[in-house]
Amino acid sequence: MNQFFRRLRYLLNRRRFDQELADDMEFHGEMAARAGSANLGNTLRLREEAREAWGWVWLDRLSQDLRYAARMLRKSPGFTVTAVLMLAIGIGVNVAAFGFFDLIFLRPLRVRDPATLLRFHRRAPREGYAFSMPYPEMAFFREHSRTLSAVLALNPTKLVVEGEEKQLKTSFVTANFFTELGATAKLGRLLDPARDEAAGAEPVVVLNPAFWQRHFGADPSVIGKTIHLNGRPATVIGVAASEFSGLNLDDPALWLPINQEPYFAKGSHLLTDFSGDGGGVRMWGRLRPGLSPTAAEQELRSLAAELRKQYPTGVWENESLPSDPGGYAKSLIIGDRSGSGSEGRRDLYPVFAMLATLSLLILAVACGNLGSLLLARGVAREREIVIRIAIGAGRGRLIRQLFTESLVLALLGCTAGLAVGYLVLRSLMVFTEIPAWLNPSPDWRVMVFAIGMGFAAAILFGLTPALHAARRRHRASVARQFLVGAQVAASCVLLIVAGLLGRALTHAMSTNPGFEYQQVISIDPGLARHGYSPARAQAYLDTLQSRLRGLPGVESVSLAFSPPLGNRSEGVGLTVDGRALNVQINRVDPQFFQTMKIPLLRGRNLMRGDPHAIVISESLARGAWPGQDPLGKKFLGEDYTVVGIAGSARLVKLQDSDSVEVYFLIGTADLPSTSVLVKTSASPEDLARSVASTTEAVDPGTFPEVQLLKTGFRRKLRGAEASALTVSLLGVIAHLLACLGIVGVVAYAVSQRTKEIGIRMALGAQPGHVLSLVLRQFSGPVVAGLLAGVAGAAALSGLLRGELYGISNLDPITYLAAIAIFIFTVAVAALLPARRALRVDPLRALRYE
Amino acid sequence: MPKTEMPSGALVLLILRVLRSGALHGYAIAQRIHVLSSEVLHVEEGALYPALQRILLKGWVTSEWGISETNRKVRFYRLTRAGRKQLEAELSDYGRVHEAIQSVLRTA
Repeated sequence: MNQFFRRLRYLLNRRRFDQELADDMEFHGEMAARAGSANLGNTLRLREEAREAWGWVWLDRLSQDLRYAARMLRKSPGFTVTAVLMLAIGIGVNVAAFGFFDLIFLRPLRVRDPATLLRFHRRAPREGYAFSMPYPEMAFFREHSRTLSAVLALNPTKLVVEGEEKQLKTSFVTANFFTELGATAKLGRLLDPARDEAAGAEPVVVLNPAFWQRHFGADPSVIGKTIHLNGRPATVIGVAASEFSGLNLDDPALWLPINQEPYFAKGSHLLTDFSGDGGGVRMWGRLRPGLSPTAAEQELRSLAAELRKQYPTGVWENESLPSDPGGYAKSLIIGDRSGSGSEGRRDLYPVFAMLATLSLLILAVACGNLGSLLLARGVAREREIVIRIAIGAGRGRLIRQLFTESLVLALLGCTAGLAVGYLVLRSLMVFTEIPAWLNPSPDWRVMVFAIGMGFAAAILFGLTPALHAARRRHRASVARQFLVGAQVAASCVLLIVAGLLGRALTHAMSTNPGFEYQQVISIDPGLARHGYSPARAQAYLDTLQSRLRGLPGVESVSLAFSPPLGNRSEGVGLTVDGRALNVQINRVDPQFFQTMKIPLLRGRNLMRGDPHAIVISESLARGAWPGQDPLGKKFLGEDYTVVGIAGSARLVKLQDSDSVEVYFLIGTADLPSTSVLVKTSASPEDLARSVASTTEAVDPGTFPEVQLLKTGFRRKLRGAEASALTVSLLGVIAHLLACLGIVGVVAYAVSQRTKEIGIRMALGAQPGHVLSLVLRQFSGPVVAGLLAGVAGAAALSGLLRGELYGISNLDPITYLAAIAIFIFTVAVAALLPARRALRVDPLRALRYE
Repeated sequence: MPKTEMPSGALVLLILRVLRSGALHGYAIAQRIHVLSSEVLHVEEGALYPALQRILLKGWVTSEWGISETNRKVRFYRLTRAGRKQLEAELSDYGRVHEAIQSVLRTA
């Protein structure tokens, strides 16, 4: 039995060992008394010293400290509640922010074996990258891959569902989708590769539980019923379980087997078309056990090269298929993006960095308050501490005791913070349209994070006051001033950022974005989905355009490959003279500028038959050729010449002031995927109906989607509204906390100096003098904090450049307004308690002595 | 009676040494050291029991129940094999150091 086990045995039989020791010593005492030397020390203390040999004393002391801390906190419930509330807010906000990050980046999706799931995309030196690929290419990989045990594919689309006014989001999936992801059915059955992918299989549909609830009122007899989609009958076979995450972030209402896609979209070439014009598929692979993602990538690369021999136009030259971990929500955010150049996938990081900084600032403010609270309490407890030192408590022991109290507070704060964080996240998720399967309840990472936060807060803000109290030194006022400064700085940053977001929002709503959106209707006829060739699309669009022009109230009609405010975007990132330009590409016809009311500032318009002429926005001209005449310059390769400059209009990235535009003439090959824009002088709501019926009449087999640009504009702003609201809320909370903190420290300073004030007043000090006496010590930290806060906000808001709808992140109005609000509220917070100093009765103050 | 303090290392050595001839209880250990040192060394309770606990932890002695001369049930401490080995080692160490010190004191 070695030392460790003896130690453990002692711990387990502590009572018995201690009793034996006590017996020994008692016997010793008896014998000594007999021998006449009754020299008994403090046996309790002797026993404790003897016990120390076993190394468990810390445990006894800890439990002693904990009991004592609990008693102390119970005794002053006002202090405890305030402190826990501060921590709960500070930690809660951080838990919510981290919880969100966790949901998107860290927590695996609730599918079977998420670690072996890979999401593939295409990349080639010339074509760039694409996150969707042609179905036949995916099918080739599925058939030949040896590194992947299964290949899943998903094609997101919209279908007309009987009884629903709008087209609904649906997903066509390979029949192995549910089995591979380990999904279970709430009702009926899910897709079965053997039955639903066989030749001549019946068209079937699996319902999303939310859709089942909404559309069928959760009717269990829905299984086996027929539902018409795009006018075609299909049989409902089951409802997926509510916790099934699927592989879309926008929850589809229905899942259908992908081999039935042509049945619902008449004329669709999805399953055979290599061009991907009709929308390709998103592809996931299930890695075989023991293999690395690199092995799969290498295999797919050589398979792609092989396939290219058969279909040189379909597969890209030197095409590679990089993979991303597919088992996380972040892999679902990517969607179908494609583009040339590098993949700008870091879009989300600045937002998270911003969120993290803001919530840490809140924690800083909360901790600042907690710190002042503990400092004040430490001073108030001086008597108690003096007594404890007098009866023999060592300094280390005392610090440990005070620190234990902070830890207990931190633990309470963590628990409350977890609850607050969960509630915040939960309500945010109800507010935004995040799918229900993203479960915001904290997992172990969030728990560890919350505990870490709580303990960091306790150490930072519990230890200093504990040290001060134990040393009985009055450095407290310096610490208090520092805390005030830090709080002021943090809340100032939050106020300014909130102000910027709010102002960006009002700016976006009240000013002209550079193009007409109130009076424009966009029509997506979805020709590619129905297998239209470019020639047929040309004929269709000519007919449609001439019929639309015949409608009363229609002013202008044009074509655009990426309709404004829509979800499709083509972009390329450029750096000119170290400045990042986010170039948004659009392909349009010459009527586009007239329809969207975008002025042509210089040069000429695009012209049919001249595909090498391009029009650029004024912002691009300024960014790419500052101080030069851009007309006649080559852009994006030698083929294209700038012939005209149009007004700046951020058609796609409304919020990003770095986004600039270039317009190409729409080519014949683009026509099957193009949208039609209609500008009307009448009410667009009224016209939308006749536009829809006119479009449907051109080819009754298609299912065009008609939308008002106004609606798209509002949808884009809803995100900005949510973030402005969130940050404003954070700002208000932080500022309120900071003001409360100032009220607290000033009130404390007044109560500490009551006697001094009394003497000064007795000697004839004026009220102004008394006030300045109390407040002087805080004016320095407040001004320093304010300056630091403004500087911090200026630096931090750089991250927001892309989200401010054209407002500068150094917008002077916002800064001045925020500073004014700030100074006013801080002044009120300081003066309210300071007035008490004026009411000090000199006689009473002196009589205390 | 003069009380001479001793370093704790020496106390451990003395305890082990007096236990070599057989198990003793705490008071008897103190007494034995007191008597054998011609009443020069006096072992305080405050030093004896912590030292005994340390020795127990090291596994050099074990405790067992026995009956004292006053007919009381008390714990007797008995040297273990490891304790015996430790004692030998410490004795030879002590001898060497003692001789070294002596020779310095004689010649210096």
